[in-house]
Amino acid sequence: MTKLTLKTEGDRYVVVTRRFAASPAQVYRAHIDPEIIKKWMLGPDGWTMPVCINDARPGGKIRYEWTNGQGGGFYLTGEFIRLEPPHRIVHVERMHLPDPTPDNHVETTFEKDGTGTLMTMRMTLPDPATREAMLKSGMEHGMEAGYLRLERMAKEGDF
Amino acid sequence: MELAEPFEMTQPAISRHLKVLEQAGLIARRIDGTRRPCRLARDGIDQIDKWLSQLRKALSANYDRLDAILAASAEQIDKRTAKRSPKRKGKR
Repeated sequence: MTKLTLKTEGDRYVVVTRRFAASPAQVYRAHIDPEIIKKWMLGPDGWTMPVCINDARPGGKIRYEWTNGQGGGFYLTGEFIRLEPPHRIVHVERMHLPDPTPDNHVETTFEKDGTGTLMTMRMTLPDPATREAMLKSGMEHGMEAGYLRLERMAKEGDF
Repeated sequence: MELAEPFEMTQPAISRHLKVLEQAGLIARRIDGTRRPCRLARDGIDQIDKWLSQLRKALSANYDRLDAILAASAEQIDKRTAKRSPKRKGKR
């Protein structure tokens, strides 16, 4: 049910799929509501998102800022291109490490799958220099260490 | 030339593919007279492997958290529905 798949598609894209035990409308909302995004889009344990701006309309701005509370941090900016609730979100984003990475074009779809939702996210595969910068930044920020705590969110999660 | 042999592709087409692989840092080529021997670039392949595995870890952590949020939210909706239903019955 919950298994993540991650595949490269040609030399241009990465395609991620994941199933959720919730309706497409709920999973879609969790991708555009800043109060919900702040609770899960955090990467490895120990990181928080103090700034989460998400203006979910075509042309609307995205800005996420992450911090590890120990001086480490980076941010992401982007713009929405298309929103088709509750099935499709198209946006571009770039990470600032602090130099901006080339634009990552992301298309996320949410399809009804039995009683749940199948999410498919297709994103641009970054070029070698960008991958290098992301890896370097990830290691500096301790992202390699990431392992997860579900229980905490299960206790706190109210929306 | 040798690399082109097993494929139904022209030599220039093979050269273009190799050029892409070289630019992506996945192979390295050198000049040896008229030959252009290729080898796999271990560093480039390792790097893309590492990048994909870091992405997988970060996304897995994210979506596992999201599962818990969705489950908690479903539970709350169930509770609310349970609270509301007696009132509705009363109105009828």
